Amino acid sequence: MRTLGPGSIASLLKIALDVAYAALWAALVLIVFAAAAGLLALPFVANSASNVLQFDGSLNGHKTDLATLLHRWPMLLAAAVAVAAYVGVLLVIFFRLRQVFTTLIMGDPFRPENVGRLRIVGLALIALEVVGYVVRMALAWALPERGDSVDFSVNLSGWFAILVVFVLAEVFREGARLRRDAELTI
Amino acid sequence: MPIRVNLDKILVDRRMSLTELADRVGVTIVNLSILKTGKARAVRFSTLDALCRELDCQPGDILHFVPGPPDDPGEDGPG
Repeated sequence: MRTLGPGSIASLLKIALDVAYAALWAALVLIVFAAAAGLLALPFVANSASNVLQFDGSLNGHKTDLATLLHRWPMLLAAAVAVAAYVGVLLVIFFRLRQVFTTLIMGDPFRPENVGRLRIVGLALIALEVVGYVVRMALAWALPERGDSVDFSVNLSGWFAILVVFVLAEVFREGARLRRDAELTI
Repeated sequence: MPIRVNLDKILVDRRMSLTELADRVGVTIVNLSILKTGKARAVRFSTLDALCRELDCQPGDILHFVPGPPDDPGEDGPG
């Protein structure tokens, strides 16, 4: 099977990227909607929860958890924002990769635009690593019951991949230059 | 660019149109226009061979070196 051009592995990967891109958009909309709904419903739920706390002296664990969670809403909101930012960065990566793969399907990978696209993917991967730490920290802060300890270990394979993407961007720059030279060779 | 292409002058001397030359040499008229206007980055020996054969001239009749600053590689250049 061919790796470039129509009906190739690149076109299969493009379909996978399209599906993932749509799923990420759905996830982002869901997160934003859930956060907005949570914020809007907060006053009503908080009142009912405080009533429960007031009238029921022997609260079981679930009710206590709900009340605790409600008191912790700013942290939950911060966690939702961090997760939304994470998904947003993923969207940027997938959007640019889809553009790159479109050129691969056309059988013309060394377009000058692909250099910028790959550099953006590299920068977005850096942002993803950083936002990933923030998300884990925010979740550990908002939901300490989960028992997650904040892990600040460096993801070596992730940073290696980032460097590879930047090197690939330069390879594409050189490819674009050679393509231009070939075009202007008579 | 320090290398000037004198295709215009030779074509006038030979009373030949660019289209006719393109047909004879087997190069598209677009590429021949790029060469004529000095926008080309390089010329293949095979193209030069065909040009000299059809125009009955030497490579030096087509290409001239004019002292001047080197070509700016532009944003798609190395580095």
